[in-house]
Amino acid sequence: MTTLLEQRYRTVLRLLPSYYRAEREEEMVEAYLHGIDERNRDELRPAWGEVASIAALAVRTRMGAAGAPARYATLGAVVRLFALLSVLLQAASGLTGQALFLAWVRGAPAKDREMVLMGFTGHGAPAGLYEVVRWLLPLAWTVAYLALLRDHRRTAFAFAALAALPGLASVTQHLGGGQDTLVVSFSLTAAAFSWLTVLALCCGFHRDAPPARLPLSSPGLVLMGTCVLMGASTVVWPGDADPEWAGGAAFIAAAAGWLIARFRSPQHTRDPALPLALAALGLAVLVERTLGLAFLADAHAPGSLLTAGAVQAGVIAALAAALTTTGTRGLTARWRTG
Amino acid sequence: MTPRGMTQAAFFVLTALVDQPRHGYGIVQVVDELSEGHVQLRIGTLYGVLDRLAADGLIELDREEVQQGRLRRYYRLTDAGGAALSAEAQRMAAGARAATERIAAHRPSAAGPAPGGGSVRRPGLAGGTA
Repeated sequence: MTTLLEQRYRTVLRLLPSYYRAEREEEMVEAYLHGIDERNRDELRPAWGEVASIAALAVRTRMGAAGAPARYATLGAVVRLFALLSVLLQAASGLTGQALFLAWVRGAPAKDREMVLMGFTGHGAPAGLYEVVRWLLPLAWTVAYLALLRDHRRTAFAFAALAALPGLASVTQHLGGGQDTLVVSFSLTAAAFSWLTVLALCCGFHRDAPPARLPLSSPGLVLMGTCVLMGASTVVWPGDADPEWAGGAAFIAAAAGWLIARFRSPQHTRDPALPLALAALGLAVLVERTLGLAFLADAHAPGSLLTAGAVQAGVIAALAAALTTTGTRGLTARWRTG
Repeated sequence: MTPRGMTQAAFFVLTALVDQPRHGYGIVQVVDELSEGHVQLRIGTLYGVLDRLAADGLIELDREEVQQGRLRRYYRLTDAGGAALSAEAQRMAAGARAATERIAAHRPSAAGPAPGGGSVRRPGLAGGTA
């Protein structure tokens, strides 16, 4: 006879993918119930630790653990590539943003420079320290990126979580400060993007997952190239560059580069994981770009700024759609051939 | 074993299978005893470890039994699993030996400085014979 505890445990096991349950459910139930007195089985519930261990196994089995079917292996590869590309984008964004800021401060008129410094020193030591830490934290994305490519997963995860903290602080500040909906949505989106990256890192790079590898050249060169691209895209159109411009430009370059490579060498670009990961990144960039545009429109920004932003959003959307189509086709072909 | 090395849980699971094939709960029990209660495997953790060890060829299915209508699978250690466990045990023993020797060499002694400890303090290093 089925006891309440067994029913409850089987409910928890429903977290696992069906292929895994078909193989393991009966065995796991037997292992779980074996040491528990039958007389108590209608009064007990699975402990939180048991539930957590099943939840962790559920994530791992969906992210391409040993013996997972092709669709979960692909899902795991997509999540890992998304995490890697997203960390790269945010590392380059942090480095470029801070470098451009320092360059601007250096060349700014004395009055402007003083105003900037007041932001760090004008509200007492604790507030100044908080601002300095908040200014420095986005650079932790770079540490996370380098750690990830050296397969130091815990370090990468810890630094990514640190780097994502300022986003959370902005949301709290804006929610508590009675800001209008657009400002709150904007900071919520930025924070969601950062924490989605942290989540993808955490889930994708589980213990059994293969190490992170960049599809192209060495990690340092790719980071430097992305920084140069983002910096150049901002400097070339200083009048038209809003904070989302550089990220959009980097995505456009990567997506267009992949699609050109796909056109020229279809044999070497069959793996659907990269286009799907890029498409997911494109979607995140597009949401930020669109909200940034709405923010500019609300602030009555110049028409040229709005036009450039709208064109960029359109290009990002078109490229993300093309990547999704190509990736989905590759995925279907792979599943068909097993 | 993967290049990421052997976890403590995997080490104890392999150790539990040295003498005879065991089923899931049997492994949990033996691991608990071997580790003196320090490693208490949850079922989700156990099956994650078993999947990994089986994929690496360190354990394999021995037999299946049905007990009170429920499936019980027994796992056994493979030759590769025995070799990997032996290598890991030697590595851990060498590490423990090195740590024990170092602790003994630097233990404060009433008879004066410990052998090899010396009395010369090098700049930039804390401690001396402590």
